Amino acid sequence: MGISMKTMIVQAALLSLAAGAPVFAATPAAPPLTAEHLTVTAMPPDNPHRIYVLDEAFFNEIDSRVHLFDGDTYARLGQIDSGFTPGFNLSPDGKSTVVATTYFSRGSRGTRTDLVEFTDNQTLKTTHEIVLPSKRAMTLPSYFNLGFSADSHFLYVSYITPAASFGVLDPAKYSVIDEIDTAGCVLVIPSGANRVSSICESGSLLTVTLDAQGHEASRAFSEVFFDPDKDPIFAQGVPMTNGYAFLSFLGQVHEVDFSGAQPAFHKPWPLVAAADKGHWRPGGYQVGAIHRRLNRLYVPMHQGGEGTHKDGGTEIWVFDMATHERVARWPLAPHKLPTVLALQVSQDDAPLLFAATDTSDIAVFDALTGQLRHVEKKLGQTAWLILNH
Amino acid sequence: MRSIDKLFENSARALARRTSRRSLLAALGQVLTGAALIPLLPVDRSARAAEPVASPANAHAKLKPATDDPKSCDYWKYCAVDGFLCSCCGGSSNSCPPGTTPSPITWIGTCHNPADARDYIVSYNDCCGKVSCGNCECNRNEREKPMYRPSRNNDLNWCMANADSNYHCSVSVILGVAEL
Repeated sequence: MGISMKTMIVQAALLSLAAGAPVFAATPAAPPLTAEHLTVTAMPPDNPHRIYVLDEAFFNEIDSRVHLFDGDTYARLGQIDSGFTPGFNLSPDGKSTVVATTYFSRGSRGTRTDLVEFTDNQTLKTTHEIVLPSKRAMTLPSYFNLGFSADSHFLYVSYITPAASFGVLDPAKYSVIDEIDTAGCVLVIPSGANRVSSICESGSLLTVTLDAQGHEASRAFSEVFFDPDKDPIFAQGVPMTNGYAFLSFLGQVHEVDFSGAQPAFHKPWPLVAAADKGHWRPGGYQVGAIHRRLNRLYVPMHQGGEGTHKDGGTEIWVFDMATHERVARWPLAPHKLPTVLALQVSQDDAPLLFAATDTSDIAVFDALTGQLRHVEKKLGQTAWLILNH
Repeated sequence: MRSIDKLFENSARALARRTSRRSLLAALGQVLTGAALIPLLPVDRSARAAEPVASPANAHAKLKPATDDPKSCDYWKYCAVDGFLCSCCGGSSNSCPPGTTPSPITWIGTCHNPADARDYIVSYNDCCGKVSCGNCECNRNEREKPMYRPSRNNDLNWCMANADSNYHCSVSVILGVAEL
């Protein structure tokens, strides 16, 4: 305020001179650097090797974020903030990210606001939000915390207070349509235009069918398809054609077809040979990925007993979903990689396998050969879920 | 309310499978009245175990192995803790740190105390109202079940029903002997 314009110009010139002096000394013939313009980087075009990595930020949990990463250029593309213990998912067309999260009015304390935030994946701008009742399920991230109907007309959000229910939202009008009680069954598994299934303690699925306005039209419980006492399934699913594969703690694969009015269950098959059952297990936070055209299932596997279901994999096992044969076994130790907690595979013809390690590094493999292409160090502090489109 | 009924019914069924009627009622009574915050035993002094209950292979649990140390993830009471140990955050194994608020709802585990060769029902309350403590992360999951069995699940933020639902750390409070 007290400095004249003339003084400022002189000071700026002196500063420029001082900064430029060594350059002139080293290369006297080189022209000076041109003035720069401050810009905002535009997102590159989408491609099948872009991934969205949720960093739960467990050590400062109100500050989680989704990192966007390119598996071809190994570039960190940008960030979507995701608040406290979020769920997140992508829209069916891949153009939007939805984050269900919680903010406190004073940062770490104060009035709780639960909401869903919509982000444009080509600008990374948050475009809209829907405020929820303060019931959002605060738990590990998976595909089933929130998700769209296949036609994108509805968005479903899991609620746990600990009473279980889910919210039906209108993503076009940015409004809450209804809340539907789920009789103790948890999470939202969308299918078709108007169905939501939830996992029940008995080992069955509850499927609620909605009317055109998004209110409950009917509900039905499935048969019991797993034993929650002897061999529980992980409360997450691996997307496959027409449904999800649910892996059990002991390594049974329960394929569930959600394409019909009610879920249909295939005969379970084992990841682990009888001799190794109970010794080698799947584990981690995102326990599998499927390349749908190749019909390949990738699973992080470790050696351990009861209670090790969150231990990361020391090897990645690859299975043919048609024959149920293990077609490859890729140990991580030769690459000096720590255990793998989350896996994702791209769906193109030159697929990449992405593995988030216990130290939040992202390893990029050729999904056909297992060749390690890159290790991206420290993509956040606790990378627990990888999504892609 | 249907869901709440179902939750407690299922929780009760799960507990009943593992406990006698008497200990079940005692345990449930304490949970429901909030008395779960008062330990029944002088826990820290009674724990003089020599061997780890289990050695968590997860790399998150990189704490020194010592079962008589409440600041160690290997301490016997922590057999189903997934979070930060309140003992390292200004509290103790059964006391929340100053300025935090205990969660009135919990998940429950059954841990074996090698010192007296008994199994105990343990209530894992979260301490709430401050951002995650960040010290002594402990990730043990013995008999832990996925969130469709919420009373046995440690992935839920059990501060969810608190006025301030921010998660800070977890304690392990003995509810009673599991009479199998």
